[in-house]
Amino acid sequence: MIINHPLLGPRDAAEFVYLGDAALIDRPDWQAAEAAEAFHAYGYLRDNPAGAHQELWYHEQGDRSWLVVTRDTVSHEITQVELARDVARARGRSR
Amino acid sequence: MAEYTLQAEPPLAGAEMEIAGVRLWAPADLALVSLALPLGGEDAALMAIRAAYGAGLPEIGRSVVADDGTRLVRLSADLAFALFTHATPDAEHVVADRLNGAVYTTDQTDVWVALALSGPNTRRALERICPIDLHRQVFAVDHAARTVMEHLGVLILRTGEDDYLLLSASSSAKSFLHAVEVSLTNVNQT
Repeated sequence: MIINHPLLGPRDAAEFVYLGDAALIDRPDWQAAEAAEAFHAYGYLRDNPAGAHQELWYHEQGDRSWLVVTRDTVSHEITQVELARDVARARGRSR
Repeated sequence: MAEYTLQAEPPLAGAEMEIAGVRLWAPADLALVSLALPLGGEDAALMAIRAAYGAGLPEIGRSVVADDGTRLVRLSADLAFALFTHATPDAEHVVADRLNGAVYTTDQTDVWVALALSGPNTRRALERICPIDLHRQVFAVDHAARTVMEHLGVLILRTGEDDYLLLSASSSAKSFLHAVEVSLTNVNQT
């Protein structure tokens, strides 16, 4: 499998480590009233789609960047690769 | 109390050989300092680098040789390496002084080990162990990439038409030399 890194170009998947659902970017507010339920969902509950899936990959044997890869879980086709930093900022995070 | 004299022993010091017409050696006194651009201070950091070296930081995956021979390698949006020949163990101070504190600097000299390869068969040896495309047009002169060879993390630089510089962790220096040496020997046998 080849991951087309947005900065470095096509790289073999062997250079990367898979973490999981990109929903992990949205860490709940620990001070919110419903924090316990929110963290339960954040830690344990995942969708398991047969189709497009946004996931976090770490370029450990490369530039150590975190990526959000959109991959079809049925065909393994990768349709989009973004820097996790850009995705987090687009969702309103400061960094 | 006994008097001690400390002597630097770089892990691959003195390594030099020629296999398949390729010269393979460990460059002496190669200093390596990492340059991290501070969050929010990127523009000031880039200006300081340009003022100090007379060369701007290149785009990611490229390197540039400054007037004084220092090679600046851009590894990611906010990280670069300065590679230069420097025999004494104060490389970081030298770079930090030139950049006036506008860039976070860390001495990486002893953490890495360098191997230089030169000769027309170099690419044939590297393509056996390097997963990235090293075709002349794709990986051109002054290109740089962090990748993996025989499970060892490597920063590969193309320094000339048939010249490459490989940097890897000093803790696995001998395994790294072995991997490159074996690949060159395999070229010799085909």
